[in-house]
Amino acid sequence: MNSSFLDYLLRIRLPITLFVVVASFSFTYFVSRPERDGIGYQPEQPIKYSHKLHAGDLKIDCKYCHTGVEKSRHAMVPPLSTCMNCHSVARKDRPEIIKLTQYFNEGKALPWKRIHRVADFAYFNHSVHVNRGIDCIVCHGDIAKMEKVLQVNSFTMGACLECHRNPQKNIPNISQINNGPTNCFACHR
Amino acid sequence: MINENDMKPEKSSNKKLDVNYWRSFEDLHNDSRIVEASHHEFKTGATENFNPSELSNISRRKFLALVGASAALAGAGCADYPDKGEIVPYNKKPEEVTLGKPNYYASTSSGCEHSCGVLVKTREGRPIKVEGNPDHPINKGKICLKCQAEILNLYDPERLKEPQKKVLSGVFDKITWKKANDEIIKSLMNIGDKEIAIILQGILSPSSLKVLNEFKIKYPSAQIYSYKFFNEDVRNSAWQKCYNSSHFPLIKWNEAKIIVALESDFLGSEGNRVENSALFVEGRDVSKIDEFNRLYVAEGNLSLTGMNADHRIRLRPHAQLDFVLSLITEICKKTGINSLLGGYKSLAEFAKQQNISLTILNALVSDLIKNKSKAIVHAGTTLPEEVHIAVNYLNELLGNTVLYRTDCSEVTLLPNSQMSDWENLINKMNSGKIGVVIHFNSNPVFHLADDYNYEKALAKVPMVVSLTEKENESSENANFVLPINHDFESWGDFKTRTGFYSLQQPIIAPLYNSRQKESILLTWISGKSETYNDKIYHEYLMNRWKTEVFPSLNSVLSFDRFWFGALHDGVVKVDEKVQTDFAFNSASLSELNSHKSAISGYSIVLKNNYSIGDGRLADNGWLQELPHPVSKIAWDNYASVSFATAKELNLKNNDLIEITIGSKTLKIPVFLQPGSADNTFTIELGYGRRKSGTVGTNVGFDAGVLLTKSNSGSPYLFTGKINKIDGTHELVTSQEHHMFDKALTNDAALKRKVIREGTVEEYKKNPKFLKQETEVELHTVYPFIDYPNEKWGMSIDLNKCLGCGDCVVSCTSENNVPIVGKDQVAKGREMQWIRIDRYYSGTAEDPNTSLQPMLCQHCDHAPCENVCPVVATTHSNDGLNQMAYNRCVGTRYCSNNCPYKVRRFNYFNYRDYFNDEYQESESFNLIYNPEVTVRSRGVMEKCTFCIQRIMEAREEAIRQNEKLKGSNVRTACQDACPTNAIQFGDINDKESEFQKYRNHELGYYVLEELNIKPNVTYIAKLRNTHAEEA
Repeated sequence: MNSSFLDYLLRIRLPITLFVVVASFSFTYFVSRPERDGIGYQPEQPIKYSHKLHAGDLKIDCKYCHTGVEKSRHAMVPPLSTCMNCHSVARKDRPEIIKLTQYFNEGKALPWKRIHRVADFAYFNHSVHVNRGIDCIVCHGDIAKMEKVLQVNSFTMGACLECHRNPQKNIPNISQINNGPTNCFACHR
Repeated sequence: MINENDMKPEKSSNKKLDVNYWRSFEDLHNDSRIVEASHHEFKTGATENFNPSELSNISRRKFLALVGASAALAGAGCADYPDKGEIVPYNKKPEEVTLGKPNYYASTSSGCEHSCGVLVKTREGRPIKVEGNPDHPINKGKICLKCQAEILNLYDPERLKEPQKKVLSGVFDKITWKKANDEIIKSLMNIGDKEIAIILQGILSPSSLKVLNEFKIKYPSAQIYSYKFFNEDVRNSAWQKCYNSSHFPLIKWNEAKIIVALESDFLGSEGNRVENSALFVEGRDVSKIDEFNRLYVAEGNLSLTGMNADHRIRLRPHAQLDFVLSLITEICKKTGINSLLGGYKSLAEFAKQQNISLTILNALVSDLIKNKSKAIVHAGTTLPEEVHIAVNYLNELLGNTVLYRTDCSEVTLLPNSQMSDWENLINKMNSGKIGVVIHFNSNPVFHLADDYNYEKALAKVPMVVSLTEKENESSENANFVLPINHDFESWGDFKTRTGFYSLQQPIIAPLYNSRQKESILLTWISGKSETYNDKIYHEYLMNRWKTEVFPSLNSVLSFDRFWFGALHDGVVKVDEKVQTDFAFNSASLSELNSHKSAISGYSIVLKNNYSIGDGRLADNGWLQELPHPVSKIAWDNYASVSFATAKELNLKNNDLIEITIGSKTLKIPVFLQPGSADNTFTIELGYGRRKSGTVGTNVGFDAGVLLTKSNSGSPYLFTGKINKIDGTHELVTSQEHHMFDKALTNDAALKRKVIREGTVEEYKKNPKFLKQETEVELHTVYPFIDYPNEKWGMSIDLNKCLGCGDCVVSCTSENNVPIVGKDQVAKGREMQWIRIDRYYSGTAEDPNTSLQPMLCQHCDHAPCENVCPVVATTHSNDGLNQMAYNRCVGTRYCSNNCPYKVRRFNYFNYRDYFNDEYQESESFNLIYNPEVTVRSRGVMEKCTFCIQRIMEAREEAIRQNEKLKGSNVRTACQDACPTNAIQFGDINDKESEFQKYRNHELGYYVLEELNIKPNVTYIAKLRNTHAEEA
């Protein structure tokens, strides 16, 4: 009686329990990896543009290219004509610039890989954040140090709410900051 | 069947409760089906076709196999799950574009004869909404529903995309522009002594007229024929006879104390409604209670104007002349003026004969006499010339001519062709003397009276060219069909009034291979197909302005700077003289002496409709689905008839009748319209298009078949015979939807104070009369919630709301509301977020009408919120009832619990469902407002108070580092309302203009006793009834 019960425990109960524990742990681990939210995503771009060089070393202001960031929902990836403001003269001999010039002259669109993406049903607005004094770094990381841009923060609803609820903690460099709105219509309509 | 006794409303001892608000005859008479239906939340069938097993015929095994396969596919697809697609920026960004920000362009709409100024809102280069141009002197920032819906026609997937040539009868082949032009030019050149007939629907543009004149110089045998389906020719010719001047003047509706509209729908389907309404409601401002105007309407069928009347007289149109003549007789008798007209019936005799209460007529006469030169009598376009002459005389007698506007008058560039011109044309066509017929954006096959036999004659013309946006009845008979640009793709200038020009500029490049109609003519004038280029008409227009208009403006600017400024404003003001003195020609009265008052048979009135114009907007789903302002019927027209006449002919709603006028017959369903005059059938024209795309073809019945070329008096008024015939046609209405349980809530509108109104007298005596009625203690189980920042609210002034429906179309356009189709409207599934409720009170013969726009009330204690099992609808901290589509699982509990019945459920993905994926056509992707989610099947939706506009204002406030001001937010319905009845603002902003309405002594909430604290304040309507006639 006893031995058969122990036998049952060891041969059936234990493996099942172990399997369930391991399986749920690994499943949970897998789905909650930061990579699932796109953290660390660093795709190859059609042109090897370096934010480190432009924004970091040359200290070009973000808003020189991302002109919409204070005015509109969209920060805007710059049109090629913005690049050509300098590159019609500067570094014309570099292979990447030759590629760029080619795109520009042919009137072709340049298909950059999208790195940061908020779901379609959320109406995120850059200008309200930037005009409140929130630095690009808070969400995008220190782009000025990135040779090749990668995603450093999560862009999920949880991540948005975390900051909206505790802005003081997440954005310490602004002394007076109110909580962000957390009602549905703030993002969804 | 309803028996005689029911015709009178039940009398109760309580005088106040005697007002019984009812919605239809069935409702009034407690029809058992309606009573039964009112016990149910949704209409029968509303939840049918909704059984999952009926929706899919896939077996269980197949389903599992598909699930397995899709899982495998998803697994395979996951290999690259971080990929998030691409961002493709502009190569060279247009300077004026900021992604995510709209641009507005001023232009002009040529959809009707008023050519109102519009501002077209574009996003990333594509037009998404039409608003009124505030700088425009006529429409002053407002725009009617037809013009707002024009944007749907721009993206219509069935627009012609290429020129076409007929190869066989009824078969068209694509052809290049060059080939088409070459062939047409060849025919034009070799025309010999044959005539070229250009047929058009009036000309509003001077530059366009110049092109046509140049065409006539190049091809001397060309003749222009012009028609207008709804014209004011009768009124103008009467004016011509009376005053020797070509145009009936515009009227200062705002200065009139007494307005008498005889069969005239000046607030609805007649004249420029937007302008008239705005002027009219200046006399409906409760803050200037002493300046209230009084509107008398005498008409045969309840019209939009009639719904807003203070006193309404049912009168068949054929008795209008008698009415005016007895009015003149009575007024002359009372004032001692010598009338040039004698021997007519006295008013008492007339009242007796027509069975009209003499008290109303006496009140009318005393009002007219008391308000000499501050009153206006206005006759409708459907009435014959004699009535207009008599009305002109009456106004002259009373000195009302001072109310004719002298600041501007209408301009006609090209008069309509007369009957003899058309007969000549048809004769020439039949005898082979016409070589080419050009339909210059016109549709004479549909519009011309049938007895011209135009279509038959057209078959004898060797070359017929139709210039049109979309196939129509006339293009079917053409040899060449050439696609032309939509309004928003065109250049132009318009001149419909003195004092200014209205400019049109393209908002978007042509979507298809179409051309501007004037450029096509210019190509033909040049005689070479190669001369065409995109700019040919643009340059022509600029040149004409530079040489003909600009020098006379004495502008200090260079032409280029002037031109860009003018395009920016959309309007160029000029100094022009208007005829200001009119001398009445009493000889015109001789026409009246031959008048005979005997009427036989039934009166048949054909009138303009409220939405689809002369039929050219029949393919517009927004307009077809908009409920009729009076009957609330969508997707149809009908013959409206009084209850007594229906009984006499044994007619019920939906029964088909045959109308016979001479040799012409028309089959059409009837609708029993409260307030109709007996023996009068009123039908709206413009419906029943035989060829108007998948949406507009065969919707309604073409009453145009009754028109004759030679109807004496008025082209729209007839007498005829009526026969009931077998069969019915289902008319669908939004009227019986959303009905409360009658047993529980008999007289609900009154008892539960859905509609509250009073009279001007009452208000003057006691401005707080409304509040005193409602001193009840209200209880709630909810805690008080504080809204420290903004709290949004709306107010709707029911004195100013005329029930036109402009707000409904504006909302549809702004909020991506889908078209659902007639079958779905029949089931009560229409999706419009705002509706105009219409309640009748009083008797079926002489009802009073109350109107009430109904939308989400954003209640503080919203009943919908606490029944949602998934918390998809919640309250925001600025007082909005929010709807999160992603959370909604479609239980519809919220709709069930909403006392206002304003929630809309997506029973289908209507973009897919309606007309076989019609709204999923590629071109329709461009029409959507990118700031509003496009909803799919299975979710609830409702008015959001235009949250996207609130957020836009908020964004701007943050940008300027200011506090958000309520007055900076304007909702779509508010923007569209021609009378500014709708106000929106921040309840917490105590200084704002909106507060005045929010805390108005006439303000009330619908179903206030539920204490759910709605945030839409209604300002109670005051009827300005005559004291003796209250």
